[in-house]
Amino acid sequence: MGRFLYRRLIHGLVVILGVTVIVFVVTRMVGDPVQVMLPLESTPEQRAAFEQKLGLDRPIHIQFVEFMGNMARLDFGESLWQKRPAMDIVFEKLPMTILLTAVGIGFACVMAIPLGIIAALRPGGVVDRVTVFGSLLGLSVPQFWLGLLFIVVFAVQFKILPTSGTGTPSHILLPALTMGLPTLARLVMLVRSSMIDELNRQYVKTSFAKGLPFVRVVGLHALRNAGLPIMTLVGWEVIRSLAGYSVVVETVFAWPGIGLTAIQAIEREDLILIQAIVFTAAVCVVLINIAMDFLYKLIDPRLKLT
Amino acid sequence: MNKWRGLFLAAVWIGIFLTGSAWAACEKVTIALGSEPTTLDPQIREDGGERAVNDNIYDTVLTRTPEGDLIPHLAAQMPELVAPDTWEVTLRPGIFFHNGEPMNADAVVYSIHRVIDPDFNSEQISFFSTIKEARATGELTLHVITNGPDPILPSRLYWLKVVPPVHSKDPKFAEKPVGTGPYRFVAWQRGQYIDLERNENYWGDGPQISSVRYRFIEEPGTRLAGLMAGEFDLITNLLPEFTSHVPRSVNVLGLEHPIIILNADSGITKDLRVRQALNYAVNKMALANGLFEGYAQVAQGQLLSPSFFGYNDEVTAYPYDPDQAKKLIEEAGVKGQTIELIGTSGRWLKDRDMVEAVAGYWEQAGLKVDVRIFEFNEYLNRLFDRKTRADAIFVVSSNELLDADKSFSAYYKAGGVGASNTDQTLASLIDAARSETDEQKRESLYHQAVQRAYDQAYFVWLLNIEDIYGMSQRLEWPGRVDARLLIQEMTCR
Amino acid sequence: MTQPRTDTLEQALAQNRFEWWDSLQELGRELKRDKPGLIGVILITSLVLMAVFAPFIAPHDPAAQDLTARLAPPVWYDKGTWNHILGTDHLGRDVLSRTIHGARVSLWVGAAVVLVAGGFGVVMGLMAGYLGGRTDAFIMRWIDTQVAFPGLLLALIILAVIGPSLFTVVVVLALNGWMVYGRMTRSAVLSIRESPYVEAAEVVGCRWPRILFRHILPNLTSPLLTLAILEFARIVLAEAALSFLGLGIQPPATSWGLDVAMGKNYMFMAWWLVTIPGCAIAVTVLAINLVASWLRLISDPQEREKQYARHMAGVMRKNLHAVLEKEKEPEAP
Repeated sequence: MGRFLYRRLIHGLVVILGVTVIVFVVTRMVGDPVQVMLPLESTPEQRAAFEQKLGLDRPIHIQFVEFMGNMARLDFGESLWQKRPAMDIVFEKLPMTILLTAVGIGFACVMAIPLGIIAALRPGGVVDRVTVFGSLLGLSVPQFWLGLLFIVVFAVQFKILPTSGTGTPSHILLPALTMGLPTLARLVMLVRSSMIDELNRQYVKTSFAKGLPFVRVVGLHALRNAGLPIMTLVGWEVIRSLAGYSVVVETVFAWPGIGLTAIQAIEREDLILIQAIVFTAAVCVVLINIAMDFLYKLIDPRLKLT
Repeated sequence: MNKWRGLFLAAVWIGIFLTGSAWAACEKVTIALGSEPTTLDPQIREDGGERAVNDNIYDTVLTRTPEGDLIPHLAAQMPELVAPDTWEVTLRPGIFFHNGEPMNADAVVYSIHRVIDPDFNSEQISFFSTIKEARATGELTLHVITNGPDPILPSRLYWLKVVPPVHSKDPKFAEKPVGTGPYRFVAWQRGQYIDLERNENYWGDGPQISSVRYRFIEEPGTRLAGLMAGEFDLITNLLPEFTSHVPRSVNVLGLEHPIIILNADSGITKDLRVRQALNYAVNKMALANGLFEGYAQVAQGQLLSPSFFGYNDEVTAYPYDPDQAKKLIEEAGVKGQTIELIGTSGRWLKDRDMVEAVAGYWEQAGLKVDVRIFEFNEYLNRLFDRKTRADAIFVVSSNELLDADKSFSAYYKAGGVGASNTDQTLASLIDAARSETDEQKRESLYHQAVQRAYDQAYFVWLLNIEDIYGMSQRLEWPGRVDARLLIQEMTCR
Repeated sequence: MTQPRTDTLEQALAQNRFEWWDSLQELGRELKRDKPGLIGVILITSLVLMAVFAPFIAPHDPAAQDLTARLAPPVWYDKGTWNHILGTDHLGRDVLSRTIHGARVSLWVGAAVVLVAGGFGVVMGLMAGYLGGRTDAFIMRWIDTQVAFPGLLLALIILAVIGPSLFTVVVVLALNGWMVYGRMTRSAVLSIRESPYVEAAEVVGCRWPRILFRHILPNLTSPLLTLAILEFARIVLAEAALSFLGLGIQPPATSWGLDVAMGKNYMFMAWWLVTIPGCAIAVTVLAINLVASWLRLISDPQEREKQYARHMAGVMRKNLHAVLEKEKEPEAP
């Protein structure tokens, strides 16, 4: 166990290091953040002074060493755009993305398990076919388009939900639904196919024969055995969302999360904020991966962690 | 009979209740801005979101009428020139900051010194760069001393928001602004909203609207959705196409001028006839009507709006005359030659569309046009490239000082960041105007500069774009030429 | 595909070739049975044809602007004209033509990314699986590390820096998606390596590249094909999302995602600007998904057995139901 944790942590460090180095190199290739930051009519002297202030006039290897040192202290410096510590901004926005992801994927889980089970009860039946086709459709509709559709229908036509932003619980419904729908589609397919497998197993049949109630057999035994792949998928979906896929939904609904901030930082060539965001995203992905491995072990103690 | 009376009474009560609640609801308006303020310190950033909010929390020494004329505000009268480099400002008595600090000469002097302090490193420094120092000469009078004569100091004072000397030293000042303005700060939930409420002790005319919420939505489509859904009362930068679809809209001639800078020193545009032809070739009226649905005016051959100081109303736009353009092109012997036109995409409203439309007109005049749309950073490289100037560069100039000095120093004057000419006559006119304190002489210098640049056709002056605001049914606001969103000028119907 | 149990190489190859034709015919028969699959194949074929012949089908140049005919509605509205069947956008460009040409970009990006990522991933997987040892360890570490990258975020940044274009979009998406092919190929190679015919080839003295590409790769085609098609669907969506965010295909080129992004500003007065390209994306991806799920069914013997069992179970249950219903009937009032 200790060895496993050690190896995962080392690997995590490699990932984080790799990502930050890539971003460092790439963002330093950007012509010049200075040009974009200052008003069009600024003089060359004003530009030079600004560059010097940011330390962008020094050789790149010196910048890099300093950057790594600062990163170790979780200090990326002040965002060029917002003029406050980049990590402050990240810590302010990250909870919003986590909230959105949690509600969206939570909704997907809550819906997917009963839907998948119902579909699995009669494979090839009408319910099953509708579910499968619905899932395929859900996988095929682009998220940004779905979000726009929701805004037009629910917010502008019926005026029952707000168009964008945050504040009240009703604000989260449309973005979370948009975020959760593709996840729901994938989950339904997975639950359905693993339940079909489980329901055909001997132990399920025996349990039914013994007269155990349906909910108990399906809910407790079958679902539990199907739990591993389901959990893998859910974990993967969470990672996906934090690794950048929330950008689309957050942009459409002006949801002030890390994804929207990332796009804004990219537009403004705020390389410091970009670095902080990518670093945080990488850390999140690594941590979730490790957590998933432990959860596997929890669900199935026979599993060997290597 | 009794029954009817009861019903009638009920109806009246419901009516009163409904109108009452509608009226109460209008007390609170929501405004959607394109970007969230990065700070609420009014002196540090050059930030449209911050300005939109702080314009209501802070007062400036001078202000402008909605039409753009400078008038005293915190100052009791217009500043007076007491020496070539010294202006005397007299303040109104009895004004206090929201936290009770007095607004007096010391506060103004403090605010000036704060913003020009090199260590403070304000992005607004270009507005105040000529100010050397300020000195209080009495409880309510002060002297502002400039580096040499600075005739546009009053315009600069229109930018000077006065901050409270004590509270502004609080490290939380940038999050909890305190001014003298008609609205006081209530709350800022980052990423979500900023709330303001009416300052009941405001020294000037009390505003009608009692509280304001600002929301920040970058996407114009999403802002529009919010307006259509009834969530917002005012949205900025409404697309021209939507004026007939939103409940109400208001349009004002804005500060933005799209122009094309022509290279007067080399290439085919070195020939005056070619530069004139390029002006004659473009149907500016069609651009205004086709791309902006009429929400733009044809620029009158100068980089100035009528409300700007220095505007020369004797100069009018080059007419659309394709035959004349063709003739001039042929005379210059450049027919069929290639001209390079540089632009960017997505930075300004319809930037790319304008560039492509202009290219179309130039092709009709007999030139080949090499349209090069660059990503903004690369575009800036071209715009600022002093060594090799491209034949033609599209740019949108915005002038918040409403004074010719800013636009002319940047684009007209030889050596300016965006200038493509080395006309010393023009440069000396602009330099002379810069230090001329006699208003009329200064104005005449600018009139000459406008005429000179027009005759030499250093630019293709395209349009002056109107700002369009989308509004809810209940909000009433005439708009302002300086694009400030002053809530105190808004009313509810 | 069954595994050839022959000792000589020649026979194995001959048999392989024969099976190809056979299985193609079988495929056609399968298709007739699976309606959704059939619809998917028809849709895809017509999309590909549309993309290939776009310049001949499209009534207008997709980039031709006409400022006098901006935001014209589709033909079934009073103001619509047959000249612009699906209306025009904010610059007066023909929506139908843009949608037809948009298919080109989507399919081209999808195909290019699948080819590049698939090619690279398969080569890496083959090398890892076949060579083993340090090569394997190195490649697998690499894959593990890259899988844990925040992929889309990195893609956005890289695109913003080097400048988005058709080419860079393909490169970035391929860089982001090759790992899944690598992993799959490696595990398949590991299981095939031990089979008799590969051993035979080794005995005959084939060199490893030849063994990999001539003997192992053909056995990977069907799982790889399914994967590639699923990836194709994902890439089409990813390209649309990148273009929607403004970091994908750039104007004046057309892309469905780009058209949705530009249309969203006009969504309340010209719904067709958002709806039509959005539907085009959805239909394309749905068609690909239908084909992929059908392919997965027929290429996986286990799945096929299950499918058959399910079918039979359904029939039996129906019969049982009928019997039970009949028994119940007399009791009902």
